[in-house]
Amino acid sequence: MIADFEYFAPKTVKQALSLLSRYKGKAKIIAGGQSMLVIMKQGLLTTEYLIDIKGLAALDYIKYDEGKGLRIGALSIHRAVEKSPVVRKHFGVLSEMERNLATIQTRNWGTIGGNLCHGDPAGDVAPVLIALKAKLKLASATRERTIEVEEFSKDYLEVALGPAEMLTEIQVPTPPPHTGVACDKLMVMKGDMGIVGAAVSITLSPASGVCQDARIALSNCAAIPLRAKEAEKRLVGKVINDTLLAEAGEVASAEVSPVADVHGSAEYKREMTKVFVRRVAAKALERARAG
Amino acid sequence: MKGKAKELELTVNGKPYKLMVKPKTLLVEVLRDELKLTGTKTGCRTSSCGACTVNIDGRAVRSCSVLALQANGREVITIEGLANGEKLHPIQEAMVEHGAIECGFCTPGMVMSARALLNENPKPTREEVREAIQGNLCADEGYVKYIEAIEIAAEKMRGGQ
Amino acid sequence: MTETFGNYSIIGKAIPRVDARAKVTGEAKYAADIELPNMLWGQIKRSPYPHARILNIDTSKAERLPGVKAVTTGKDFGGFKWGWSRETRDEEPFTTTKVRYLYEGVAAVAAIDEETAEEACDLIEVEYEPLPGVFDPFEAMKPGAPLVHEDRPGNMCVEYHWSFGDVERAFAESHLVREDTFQTPRMAKGYLEPPAVVAHWPDPNHLVFQGAKGSPYFPYRILSRLFNLPLSNVRIIQPFIGSDFGGTKNDMVHCDYAAVMLAKKTGRPVKLVYTEFDELTTCLRRHPMWITVKTGVTRDGILKAIYLKAIADGGAYTRMSPLTMFLTGSCMTMPYKLPNFKYDGLNYFSNNPSSAAMRGHGLYHSRFAADVQMDMIAEELGIDPVEMRLRNAIENPAPGKVYETVNEVHVASCGVKECIEKVAEAVNWKGVKSGKRVEGDKAYAIGIAAATYNSGTKLSAHNACAAVIRVCEDGSVNYLTGASDVGQGSDTVTCAIAAEVLGIRLEDIDLKRVDTSFTPVDPGSYGSRVTVLAGQAAINAAQDAKRQLLEVAAQQFGVKAEEVEIKNKQVFVKSNPAKNMSWERLVRTACYETPGKVIIGRGYSTQGISLLGLADFSRGVGDIGTNYSFTAQAVGVEVDTETGMVKCTDDSVIAHDCGFPLNPPAVETQCQGGSYHQGIAAALYEEFKMDKGQTLNPNLVDYKRPRAYEAPMTKVEHVITNDPYGPFGAKEASEGSCCSAPPALVSAIYNATGVWIKNLPTEPEKVFWALKAKKEKGKGKK
Repeated sequence: MIADFEYFAPKTVKQALSLLSRYKGKAKIIAGGQSMLVIMKQGLLTTEYLIDIKGLAALDYIKYDEGKGLRIGALSIHRAVEKSPVVRKHFGVLSEMERNLATIQTRNWGTIGGNLCHGDPAGDVAPVLIALKAKLKLASATRERTIEVEEFSKDYLEVALGPAEMLTEIQVPTPPPHTGVACDKLMVMKGDMGIVGAAVSITLSPASGVCQDARIALSNCAAIPLRAKEAEKRLVGKVINDTLLAEAGEVASAEVSPVADVHGSAEYKREMTKVFVRRVAAKALERARAG
Repeated sequence: MKGKAKELELTVNGKPYKLMVKPKTLLVEVLRDELKLTGTKTGCRTSSCGACTVNIDGRAVRSCSVLALQANGREVITIEGLANGEKLHPIQEAMVEHGAIECGFCTPGMVMSARALLNENPKPTREEVREAIQGNLCADEGYVKYIEAIEIAAEKMRGGQ
Repeated sequence: MTETFGNYSIIGKAIPRVDARAKVTGEAKYAADIELPNMLWGQIKRSPYPHARILNIDTSKAERLPGVKAVTTGKDFGGFKWGWSRETRDEEPFTTTKVRYLYEGVAAVAAIDEETAEEACDLIEVEYEPLPGVFDPFEAMKPGAPLVHEDRPGNMCVEYHWSFGDVERAFAESHLVREDTFQTPRMAKGYLEPPAVVAHWPDPNHLVFQGAKGSPYFPYRILSRLFNLPLSNVRIIQPFIGSDFGGTKNDMVHCDYAAVMLAKKTGRPVKLVYTEFDELTTCLRRHPMWITVKTGVTRDGILKAIYLKAIADGGAYTRMSPLTMFLTGSCMTMPYKLPNFKYDGLNYFSNNPSSAAMRGHGLYHSRFAADVQMDMIAEELGIDPVEMRLRNAIENPAPGKVYETVNEVHVASCGVKECIEKVAEAVNWKGVKSGKRVEGDKAYAIGIAAATYNSGTKLSAHNACAAVIRVCEDGSVNYLTGASDVGQGSDTVTCAIAAEVLGIRLEDIDLKRVDTSFTPVDPGSYGSRVTVLAGQAAINAAQDAKRQLLEVAAQQFGVKAEEVEIKNKQVFVKSNPAKNMSWERLVRTACYETPGKVIIGRGYSTQGISLLGLADFSRGVGDIGTNYSFTAQAVGVEVDTETGMVKCTDDSVIAHDCGFPLNPPAVETQCQGGSYHQGIAAALYEEFKMDKGQTLNPNLVDYKRPRAYEAPMTKVEHVITNDPYGPFGAKEASEGSCCSAPPALVSAIYNATGVWIKNLPTEPEKVFWALKAKKEKGKGKK
């Protein structure tokens, strides 16, 4: 049973931030509620004040220009990101990720911002954004700041949002040329949370084919979405071949600290990290080579 | 004040409603308990089975996972809003004629997911049909006849092309 | 386009379901949709321990909470005990002395709304003395283990020891003897509609119960006994039911007792609806079993003997474990000929939620083990597995003849050979065999298995199954049945049978759903009995009504009644069709011209009563079924050899011998469903994971249920054998496909990868480690 709360439905971002400021620490924000309502129904989350921002149309947008890259309003529903022509064209990996995120019903109401703020290390969004070097704009009544997505997750279900702060925008820079990005997760059924998941970005030097930059971000392998930095180092500065891809997988599997659950033992998840880092990096490489 | 009822204005199956609801009320509770539209089912209460699927502004959404107040100002269609008197919606007709319906508990949710699909995408591939009902659990039928029925309905709705 | 079968007006063709419209429009009311004036909401107080003595229950605080109207505990039930049979009454409506599984109910509350009821439950204070528990049969059977029931030494719930022929000698004479142990997991029924009930007492002597019950005559009798009410005062009105699959919705569960007792105490209707958590933590499950099969064969792969040992976890109460263990053993002598058979069936109590029937009851476990092992043996002998099955398959008896197994099961029709041949042909087994191929890290192959299932189950105790047909004076027809359609389509089929016999259209029949005040008895929806037995009752009732009408027609036409026929609502003299009248005319004549005549046809099924005798559980002999269905199935898989993930391909075919498909599309849907939901998906990933009595995955995300994206587009082919004991030759449909799917799946995985997964489910991690071990072994050999 959901416990009672006092409810606000601010009409503007300013109103929302002002409410957050007033009820600092005692208020929770609800966007689509697709994660939040589940735990509220189980009695695992209670709040005195609930600020419903779902209706804030000002934060529901997807904008693109080549200079600034992609800017997604935090309240864009997953389905909008999935189907957006500019996303499909310029950041196809985001659309691919959304297509495997839960089910259409969830994506029709849940927001990309809400997903990020929920802070589940098994979540699909954060790793892809980390691979894309995305930033998040956080706002409070008094200031605005931007942080790397990578810095956003602190711990299991804990994100770097101040008590009076709200996520307003996701900024994804246009990747440099000859960059390939891919993602995949181990699912028993389409839409499942990944037993493990990986998102990889590889940038190649057009002349030499050497890997100039690599980012490997993993889901469900630790308490937060994890960047496998050691694995990345194995790829950077080299011409990537199958051996290196396998090596990256091995190294990544040593960097993770997966938790055993009903879906898999820690040992299995480690083994799957190897497989998925290798596979997804191979796909990213293929895309980078294709230009 | 905690739990103070708020005004909710929404359209359900074309009819406007003005209700006072406690903020924690879920949309499915308003539909079933307030409006007595029991065609929308509660199966799991954990947002996993899809039996509560309705259309909000044309999109398939789980009504158990939406605060009723978030439907303020929106248009909700439930299973009861599909048939036109005696005349069934093509999706309903196809499911009946094709023998897709067994115990029927998942059926309203399936129909609503299919409706949202075909309104947005009149010529879905088989994969797209599967994706559209991936969020609707069935325990009886094996999904085969549902998938086929939705394809049949799609063709009918396109005028048999 | 679906084929049509036979030369009938209605049956043997696609029959639109009579209840489809109500379901597809949302008009159909299920138990949770029912609302009565002045209704209260109930909630159950559950134990936080899997095994504990109840020292004290204090309900005073709960009773004082505003909005609470009544509280009930086990004491209110006056020592009442109930069970599946008279001999197995070991369960109380709410336990009074000790709790035997986690979340077992100890009390219930009725209040003005759900929230208040839940709050009140929190205020009920129960003092427990936790006890050590046993959580699987191996713990339970240890000497000195804590006892779940003090009067059941060794925690033994059911044990059978059967012997037919001479198994030891047959093994000694066998060319090859092989022993393997398999495991089937704890499984959820998986239906979507949680148990729900609304009960009320119109007056202190009459009870009305509306609940999701697939066998309404169980609560009918149980509640009559509980409250000492005449049966005629217990009114079970059945709403639409969201599937059953055996157990829970067949039996009583806490919400049922809570509703009736709280309704009695308050004088108001009380409603309880389970949550998914209630369902997945406390409701009945398929038994987990550890099955050892030892088989001896000749050089040509002909079965000489089987020794089967099945160890099962029956959970906290007996429920219907005696039947489970009987079915597990009894079916080993089918679908293949078996001259020597020995069985030890051991079912233990444990401090887990009770195990009970589930689609494919009993046979699921042993047919899985036996059919997988058959493939193993075939490989050892170098015989094609399809060929081996054909060599051993029971032949279809000639008309008038019956095949008798060593344990006195009588099979009058058996199409398993044709089923196997059809499936093999459909996947071109002759050409490509298992079709094994490897593409990168994916391996593909097909596996084939066969199964049987008992149909028209006949049990001892009250087996009466009846139907009544009322022909109204305008020619419309009421059909009253005690049989329950839980989604399998029995309402449609029995109406169709009645219409076929009467010679009218399906739409002329108005079905009156079960209401025990008006409908005649029927045992219930279990053991695939409804079509076969209620179908026969429908035939008899229709024939009775028809006979009464034909007498009137004969008089009108001046001929003998045998000379008159009714077809397509036309009544005519067979030898002179010019002498005819419409159905409506005949009925009107019957009702008006013969003063006071009413046309009421009654019929009951005779199958369950005499004929071939009932089964003897302790000796393992006799027919539990009226007849037996047979299935063969091919399952195609794609195995990701790097991750162990198994997915189904669309190489999926079932050939099913249901005698005669009364409603072919319904048979197909049932087979597709039974095969995917209770067969394939169950074998792929369904398992309740437990930790000392606690269910670790009590939700539909962590306990995976199959979904549409992964569903194979299974084709179903019909094999016709026209069983003499079934209505129009019909036998059960689809429980066999629950049993044929798991072995076919496991064989397919083996064919694709060379690893046998003997303990279900074939989760990716399991397959992964098995593949790794095989690889290491291969390296070691080098």
